[in-house]
Amino acid sequence: MNVQWASGLLLLIALYATLGLCFGLPFVWRGVGRIDPQAEQGSWGFRWMILPGVVALWPLLAWRWWHRRPPPTAWTAHQRGDKGGTAE
Amino acid sequence: MSHAYRAVGWNRQKRLYDLATGLGVVLFLGFFVGGGLWRYPDATVETLLIRGLGTAAILLLHVILSIGPLCRLDQRFLPLLYNRRHLGVTFFLLALAHGAFSIVQFHALGDTNPLVSVLTSNGRFDSVSGFPFQPLGLAALVIFFLMAATSHDFWLANLTAPVWKALHMMVYVAYGLVLLHVALGALQSETAPFYGWLLGLGAVWVFGLQIVAGWRESRLDRGRSEALDSEGFLEVCSVAEIPDARARIVCLAEERVAVFRYGDKISAVSNVCQHQNGPLGEGRVVDGCIVCPWHGFQYDPATGTSPPPFTEKIPTFRVRVSSGRVWVHPQANPAGTRVEPAIVAEATGEAGV
Repeated sequence: MNVQWASGLLLLIALYATLGLCFGLPFVWRGVGRIDPQAEQGSWGFRWMILPGVVALWPLLAWRWWHRRPPPTAWTAHQRGDKGGTAE
Repeated sequence: MSHAYRAVGWNRQKRLYDLATGLGVVLFLGFFVGGGLWRYPDATVETLLIRGLGTAAILLLHVILSIGPLCRLDQRFLPLLYNRRHLGVTFFLLALAHGAFSIVQFHALGDTNPLVSVLTSNGRFDSVSGFPFQPLGLAALVIFFLMAATSHDFWLANLTAPVWKALHMMVYVAYGLVLLHVALGALQSETAPFYGWLLGLGAVWVFGLQIVAGWRESRLDRGRSEALDSEGFLEVCSVAEIPDARARIVCLAEERVAVFRYGDKISAVSNVCQHQNGPLGEGRVVDGCIVCPWHGFQYDPATGTSPPPFTEKIPTFRVRVSSGRVWVHPQANPAGTRVEPAIVAEATGEAGV
């Protein structure tokens, strides 16, 4: 990788992380309780703990906060089956 | 579970686990650096610390990767699994310290941005000794960061367990990158083949354990009869094959079902815990609830629901006992649906739904 490409890549990552931090601080303060009821009364230790992940995955959480989406349901093969799929 | 999130749900076992981990790391680093200074008086503390942190990290990574398959092979390893996430975060911090010290030591003294220097300093893809091994380590560190940053239960709930697990399965990609990082980096300056053999042995151990555990589970999945009755129930085992307060795991409808016997009752639920997809069938029934062997999540065997105030639900299955044999309907009920347990008649082993 040449210096120009490396500098460009690091600049993009820095920009993404800066936007993530700008989003992340109000999100862990207010937004997280809007998308997950268990986070509404969450401790400050918990809020700081999730901040690095929020900075990394901020587009997903911004979309969820904007649309006020609750936590999704995890689907197993059995749960897909009881929604009309065939069993065996 | 369903309550307000905290940073860490501390209990005695977690404190002991973390204390043992911390002590182990400090002692290892002390011996590595102290022993290194004694054996190689010309070596600098910085260099020994970089090597010690890297060695501690890769050793811990092997331990972490071994815990899952070892638990599948022998339940006595389960206490190690209980707090594996803390072990993972400890490993990440060691790897991060190794990376940070290396960048300061080898890349911060020039006039180029240190991170740019990491990405551009070695560029000979056609040479083993000149291969850019540092970007391989950096790429692995990025994956480990994502895993450590998403280790809280908040992420499990908000990414869903299957997505979270898929993200965390990237540890094997990162492990491969770490092997290359070490083989093309530190090992190139070693004259003795011992460390190369050790690295190879570690890889054979990790992948060998996974293969053995997977082979054993697939054998268990296949080892049942295919007898279906007129109502679509499938014969899975005899009542006597299920120890009291334990389960027999069978594979139905693409996923495992845990058939529990508790006293004179038999119930069948999905084997997949809502928390981290832990194997419920390897847990036991305590005080009337199935307890997941991984993190202690509880479910009523008849309804598949966690006791209040918790709200987790898993699918249940219709079950019946006839002539001492257990039959399960492979069609899952919606998560949380109550199914009356089959009752085992004591004298004859006969029972109804």
